[in-house]
Amino acid sequence: MLLSVRDLQTHLHLKRGVLRAVDGISFDVAEGETLGLVGESGSGKTLTGLSLLRLLPKGSGRIVGGSIKLDGQELTTLSESALARDIRGRKIAMIMQDPMTSLNPVFSIGDQVGSPLRNHDIARGAALRSAVVDVLQRVRLPSPADRLGDYPHQFSGGQRQRIVAAMAIGCTPRLLVADEPTTALDVTIQVQIINLLRTIQADTGAGIILITHDLGVAASLCRRIAVMYAGQIIETGPVRAIYRTPSHPYTKALLAAIPRLGAKRTRLVAIAGQPPSLIDPPSGCRFAARCTQRMDKCAEAPPTVTLSDGHSAACWKLV
Amino acid sequence: MSGFFTRRLIQGVISIIGASMIIFVISRLSGDPILMLLPNDAPASMIEETRRNLGLDKPLWVQYLIFAQNALVGDFGNSYRWKMPALKLILDRLPATIELALSGLLFSVAVAVPVGVMSAVHRGGWIDRIGRVFAMLGQAMPAFWVGLLLILVFAIKLNWLPAFGHGSWAQLVLPAISLGWYPVAAQTRIVRSAMLDVLDSDHIRLSRALGTPERLIIWKYALRNAAVPLLTMLGVYFAAMLGGAFVVETIFAWPGVGRTVVEAVFSRDFPVVQAGVLFTSILFVMSNLLVDLSYGLVDPRIRHGR
Repeated sequence: MLLSVRDLQTHLHLKRGVLRAVDGISFDVAEGETLGLVGESGSGKTLTGLSLLRLLPKGSGRIVGGSIKLDGQELTTLSESALARDIRGRKIAMIMQDPMTSLNPVFSIGDQVGSPLRNHDIARGAALRSAVVDVLQRVRLPSPADRLGDYPHQFSGGQRQRIVAAMAIGCTPRLLVADEPTTALDVTIQVQIINLLRTIQADTGAGIILITHDLGVAASLCRRIAVMYAGQIIETGPVRAIYRTPSHPYTKALLAAIPRLGAKRTRLVAIAGQPPSLIDPPSGCRFAARCTQRMDKCAEAPPTVTLSDGHSAACWKLV
Repeated sequence: MSGFFTRRLIQGVISIIGASMIIFVISRLSGDPILMLLPNDAPASMIEETRRNLGLDKPLWVQYLIFAQNALVGDFGNSYRWKMPALKLILDRLPATIELALSGLLFSVAVAVPVGVMSAVHRGGWIDRIGRVFAMLGQAMPAFWVGLLLILVFAIKLNWLPAFGHGSWAQLVLPAISLGWYPVAAQTRIVRSAMLDVLDSDHIRLSRALGTPERLIIWKYALRNAAVPLLTMLGVYFAAMLGGAFVVETIFAWPGVGRTVVEAVFSRDFPVVQAGVLFTSILFVMSNLLVDLSYGLVDPRIRHGR
C-alpha cells in the first residue's frame, strides 16, 4: 500500500480548548489510485491533508495519535528536517485551493517551478531550465520556454493552477494531495484541471487524495470516496456504491442536497442544524443531533459496518 | 509605466517650485540682510544703494520672478557673505550631505531588516521583545541627543572613534548612526508586520509543502514580498535624513549643505538659503522618483503597470 493512515488524531490547541479536528480516521491509498476526501467545511478534511505533510498551524496544531505510513515509512515520528528534505515536495506534494494566491507574486514562474527541483537536488543549471520547461509542458502550459521569466499576474487562473500543479509534480511525487483544486475556478476551467489531474496520474502513477466538498468533482475523478463528518470518516466505499446505495444518513442527506436540473422540487434541500463543536464533541454518533432517523442507541459511538466489498459506514441503523 | 513616471515627474517639478516660493518668502520674513552686511553707522544713502544692488528694493513677486528666471539657467546669485556664487557653495557641500544621508539610511536598513525579519519569525520571542525595546528607545531619542551620547561614549570615554570632521570612514560612523537611529524603529515595525503577513500567505504555505528550506522561505521568498512596503517608505526616510542632517551636521561639524544653510539663515544670506533649500528639495523629489522606479525592480506587478 502506498499510503496507510491508521487512527490518525490531529488536535488544534486553541485558547478556547482542544479542538479534535481529526479524530481517529483510517484510510489507504494505493499506487495510481485517487481517493476523494469529501465533507463540508470544518469536517477536518484539509487538516487531514496537512497532517500527511505535518504542516499544521504553528504552535496550535499537533498530531496526537495514530500512524501515517508512506511506502511503509512512518511519517509521524520523522524529524522536521527529514520531512522537508525527503517527503515534502519530494514524495508527497500538495496543490492548494486558490491559484490566485498560491504563487509568489514577486518571483518568476521559472524560479518557482524550479524551486522544488533545486531544493531536492534533482536538477541544476541548464538541466534545471529544461526540466522546468518539460514539467510545464506536461501540465499543458502553452509555450512554456518563452514564459519562464513571466510572473504569476501575467497568467489566467486556470494557467496558474497548471503552474501550481507543475510545481507539485516536478519531483514526481508518489502522492499528490489536491486540496479543493477546482473550487476557485470557473466551471469550464474546472473540467480542464480535472482532466489535467487525470493525465498527471496516468503519466506518473502517483496516488492522489482529492479533498473536496463537491461530490460532482469527486465522482468524476475518484474511484473511492471517504465521507468526513466532524473529524471522522463516516462512510467510505467505491464511488458507485456511495452514489447508488448511500448508507449513512449524512451521506444520503448530502446527496439529496445536490440541486438537480429538471427536478420537480424547487426548494433547495438543506441538512437542518449545525455540526457539533469539536472542542467537546458528543460521545455518541456526531451526526445524531441532525439525523432524522435518530434512535436511543445513537448516544453510543456507532460501529463501522461493512456493507459490501470495500463499502462501509458507521451507523447503528446498519447493524 | 512611462505615463506614471511622467506624472510623478510633473508632480515633482510642482513640489520644487512650491518649495522655492515658500523658502523665498520665509527667508525674507526673517529680517533685513542689509543691516548685517553694512556697519551700524552706514548712511541711509549707502543702505539704499546696497538694497538696490541686491535687488531687494523691488516688490516681492518681482524679486521672485527674477530669482526664478536666473535659477532656471543655474544662476542663484552670489552669497552676500562669502561673495561667491551660492550655487557653487551648495554644490561643493552637497556630496558630503548625500554621503551622510545615505550612510544613515544604510545603517537603519541594515539594522531594521534583520531585526524585523527575526522578530516576525520568532514572534513573541526574545528577539521580538528586545527589538521592540530598541525600537521604542530609538523613537524616544532625538538625533541631537543620540549624537551627543555617541560622542560622549565612543569618542570621549572609549576614544574609539573621532567626534567630528569629515574624510575618513571612522569619521562617518558616529554621524551615520545618530542620523539612522531614529527611523530604525519604524522600519523594523514595517518589516516585521510585512513579514508576518507574507509568512501567513498561501504561496509561502505552498513553498513549505514543497519542501523549500526555511532559510530560503524567510530570506528569499518572503523577504522580497516584505521589501515592497519598506521601499515605499525609503524615499520618505531619505527625505527625513536630509532634514535630520541639518542637526547632525551641526553636532559633528560635518561640512554639508545643512550646516551651510543653517549658518546662511543666521546671516540672512538669502541666495545661499534659497539654493540650499532648492537643492535639498530636488534631492527629495529625486529620491522619491528613484523609489517609485525601484518598486518595479522588486514587484513585477508594478513593472507591468498592473
